[in-house]
Amino acid sequence: MCLLCVIIAVIPLLSILYEVVSRGAPFLSFQFLTNDALHGGIGPSIQGTLILIGLTSLIGVPVGILSGVYLAEFGDNKYASFVRAINDVLTEFPSIVVGITTYSVVVIGIIGSFSPIAGAIALSIMLIPIVARTTDESLKLVPNSVREASLALGIHKWKTTLRIVVPAAKSGIVTGTLLAIARIAGETAPILLTILGSNYFFQGFRSPMDALPLRVFRDARWDDPRVQAEAWGVALILILIVLSLNIAVRLAARGRHKR
Amino acid sequence: MHRLLDVGLEQLTAMVYKMGEVAEKAISISIRGFVNGKDTTESVHEISDILSTMTVEIENKAFELIAKYQPVATDLRIINSYMKIAYDFERYGRYAWDISFTHKKLARLDKCAGPSGLMHKLFEKVSEMVSMSIRALKQHDAELAKTLAGTEKEVDELYFAYLEQLAEAPVQNKGMMCNLLVSRFLERIADHTTYVGESIVYIATGEKISLR
Amino acid sequence: MTRKNANIGKDNAEPSSSGVKMQTIDLNAWFGAKQALKDINVSFKTNAVTAIIGPSGCGKSTLIRCLNRMHELVPGSRFSGQVLLDGEDTYAPGVDPVMIRRRVGMVFQKPNPFPTMSIYDNVAAGLKLTGSKKGRDLDKVVRWSLEQATLWDEVKDDLKKAGTSISGGQQQRLCIARAIALQPEVILMDEPCSALDPIATAKIEELIVKLKEEYTVVIVTHNMQQAARVSDFTAFLYLGQLVEYGDTESIFENPRNELTEKYITGKFG
Repeated sequence: MCLLCVIIAVIPLLSILYEVVSRGAPFLSFQFLTNDALHGGIGPSIQGTLILIGLTSLIGVPVGILSGVYLAEFGDNKYASFVRAINDVLTEFPSIVVGITTYSVVVIGIIGSFSPIAGAIALSIMLIPIVARTTDESLKLVPNSVREASLALGIHKWKTTLRIVVPAAKSGIVTGTLLAIARIAGETAPILLTILGSNYFFQGFRSPMDALPLRVFRDARWDDPRVQAEAWGVALILILIVLSLNIAVRLAARGRHKR
Repeated sequence: MHRLLDVGLEQLTAMVYKMGEVAEKAISISIRGFVNGKDTTESVHEISDILSTMTVEIENKAFELIAKYQPVATDLRIINSYMKIAYDFERYGRYAWDISFTHKKLARLDKCAGPSGLMHKLFEKVSEMVSMSIRALKQHDAELAKTLAGTEKEVDELYFAYLEQLAEAPVQNKGMMCNLLVSRFLERIADHTTYVGESIVYIATGEKISLR
Repeated sequence: MTRKNANIGKDNAEPSSSGVKMQTIDLNAWFGAKQALKDINVSFKTNAVTAIIGPSGCGKSTLIRCLNRMHELVPGSRFSGQVLLDGEDTYAPGVDPVMIRRRVGMVFQKPNPFPTMSIYDNVAAGLKLTGSKKGRDLDKVVRWSLEQATLWDEVKDDLKKAGTSISGGQQQRLCIARAIALQPEVILMDEPCSALDPIATAKIEELIVKLKEEYTVVIVTHNMQQAARVSDFTAFLYLGQLVEYGDTESIFENPRNELTEKYITGKFG
């Protein structure tokens, strides 16, 4: 019975993979991956996604990890419980709402145009709660006896946290962060209204930019069936990026265990 | 709360009380034999052997309890003291045998006690001390044990008084030599009853005192 | 982050002349509304081992955690009274608890070496992270600490091994070495042997008797015979109150209090 359920659960994933690989593989070529849109390539989309991942990590990872550290190590008060509650809500927040809000506040209000920065901000808003939570939980797994041992030696609390507790939770934090990034890389709604999409490579921080999910979205709705078919190729690239991040994380985790 | 140790302690206690009774019997047999001119060496010897065996049994039991239960406080004091008391009881038996043997060997069972009142008084006092020591033990009665000190003094006085008497006697004979030795044995028995008393006080109060 | 100036510094404390290293005066401690310790007045003599015994929940661990100001780390905890170290109150306003903990070290019930560090790093951690011995020859100190803890010979060939890869008894000695490396004046031990096998326990007990030559040791134990074996003085706690205190020999041969007698002979709890 259980085996039947597992099979039912796995079938959609396998069928998606099959569809994407079989329809998208024919499009893979060097030109496809490096040319801009006007020359039949998805170079800008790949570049955009990579830039977004970079910027988002730059903003979101430190904030997320530090928030998680605060919640776990210094969060024994009402303020922290409140923050934790809000954080939990934000992890499940509708991504389109994050998108419109960022559009209204950052794109219209601050920068005045679509911008990679706005995109990174929107994605960070989605990334931070997840990273904060996984960091919080990884730190909670470190037994209290370790903290006590350090404090009993007369080591200050902040040093205890930084030099003893966080390193002990390192693999959990890194794994959680990488998985969160892999997830965010595929988000579409937040970047729809913040970077808009483009046919050209990166044109500066005050211009729209393309990204793989946006390209899939655009191509799939194009009138031309040839362009629609191309969307499979883009989807394949996107899935490859996300999958390889996931696999890399798992391999790294296993390597640590072996040691 | 009944501990495992309590079972062992009850057994040990029963052994020690029994030994006390047996030792008391040995003394009374030998003294009566002496006064009535009867040969009691065999029966007293038998009892003395029994007492030796009992000492070993009590020691073994005590060691067993110490090794198994690592007793402290009152329990430890009891076990420690019972071993000492067992030794003192064995001494009672030994001196009882000495009395019988000296009487047979030296005085050839004559009624050496003679008209001298002092020897009789000695017999009385020492028998009293022996039974007091055993009673005090059974009741763990420190006060009763302490009264042995006073009685021991009286015994000492009687003993020295008797020695003086002997020293000034006009004629020396075997009977008197026998009495001399026997009075010494009695005095030693009295000493041992005070040791028993000291152990009893230690059990009851934890104080180490001297009753002599 | 401001560092409070400790009124009590290691270098300007007067060695106590009366032979008392630490003392509690009217010590009371609470966890929220529940009172864990009531009017505790007890002293710990210098270069001696004092054992604290009592049934579970009597406040033994709470008491020693008040001695190194770890009690206050528990949320909702309260404290009143004084704890004197060399005659000066460790709870006086302005005293930095961190400084106190460097003078009063602690070893816990379950060995807890730092999981990500090697044996060497574990012993050196206290020194490195408190900045107390900057520039000092760490190798020398690590070796000395491990020798003092009688662990050197067993681990000297591979100090880079993970701290958690050695046996439980060795880990506990490692924790002791780690505490000693800071050269505290007092070592607190919270049931240090309860997670260990008899042989490891015996080794730690020998170590404790050796340690008292240099340090003042306070050990919490629920093993009566261990208290009798290693300590010079014993304090019996019951329901948060000090019932009896005295030299170990007297307490175990002839306790003054009936409750003490009942407890140590196993007639309750």
